[in-house]
Amino acid sequence: MTDKPFNIDLGRLKTREKDRSAQAVEKTDRAGEELGFVAREPQKKRGRKPSPRTGQVHAKVMPGISEEIANEARRRGVQQGVIIEEAWKLYKNKSGI
Amino acid sequence: MPTVVIASPKGGAGKSTTAVLLGTELAHAGANVVMLDCDPNQSLTLWADRGPLPDRISVLSSVSESDIVKTIKRHDTDGQIVIVDLEGVASRLVSRAISQADLVITPMRATTLDATIGVRALQLISEEEEALDRKIPYAVVFTMTKAIKSKQHTGIAGSLAEQGVDLINPPLMERASFSALFEFGGDLHTMPAQGNMEGAIENAAQFAQAVYQRLAGEMG
Ligand SMILES: Nc1ncnc2c1ncn2[C@@H]1O[C@H](COP(=O)(O)OP(=O)(O)O)[C@@H](O)[C@H]1O
Ligand SMILES: [Mg+2]
Repeated sequence: MTDKPFNIDLGRLKTREKDRSAQAVEKTDRAGEELGFVAREPQKKRGRKPSPRTGQVHAKVMPGISEEIANEARRRGVQQGVIIEEAWKLYKNKSGI
Repeated sequence: MPTVVIASPKGGAGKSTTAVLLGTELAHAGANVVMLDCDPNQSLTLWADRGPLPDRISVLSSVSESDIVKTIKRHDTDGQIVIVDLEGVASRLVSRAISQADLVITPMRATTLDATIGVRALQLISEEEEALDRKIPYAVVFTMTKAIKSKQHTGIAGSLAEQGVDLINPPLMERASFSALFEFGGDLHTMPAQGNMEGAIENAAQFAQAVYQRLAGEMG
């Protein structure tokens, strides 16, 4: 047994040209999927992130007011809670809390 | 420099062992080798952390589906042989790695179950060859073989050969030192003696040489 059982001639090692375009990757993916070689890594979550608003108030208000709050929230594209938070902030300022 | 992808959807087929033996023997013979650990179980990374890495070897961990193509591209251009170790599942990561290979090696134990599942890797390769319009050379190596060949072994070898599959000779025999690589890290040359060390080193070196001949286009 010699210490170097074989010699490597690096110059003889061959690399083929490989297509690394997005199209080639897609072709590869499709070929694999047909044989069950599918994506197994967790995909990035789609859709809306969970709201940080986890507190809740239990407020019954007069019908006209609930409607106004709902309309305003819809108009601004925010949750109704945002309107209540802003109202509470104004109240705190006014009352010096 | 060429990229060698070790692939089989069968777990426990001997992929990581094959990757480490090939990488360490090629490095021992003078090549620079970068090993890409694409298995979330991180066998190669565990091996690398076990003991000092042999000269001329580096290991990159946690290579994923989205960066495998880029990572191979970055490394096969800078004078290193790239060896890719994959998880034993049918995944998109496996098909992407194969698309970048100069040689795919499918290790399999010489049992009917391993051969049946291992052959799925060969089917994938031929699908990819067609999709990409490029030849992707591949070979099978039997792993954990015994000194006396079983009937199953002979039968499976015969049927693969009939299908024109390139079988790497010698196979990787079942050896204490091969599994001890993951205990001691490093390579067969630095490891404390386990069993028949000379035989093991010779087996690994001849295997690596057989792979080298394929990478150098000496196999026709
Ligand atoms: N030629 C071999 N001789 C002895 N043990 C082996 C051999 N090949 C693999 N093993 C052992 O078999 C188990 C599975 O091998 P591994 O290389 O991790 O397979 P895979 O990567 O395909 O899941 C490991 O415990 C490994 O040490
Ligand atoms: Mg493994």
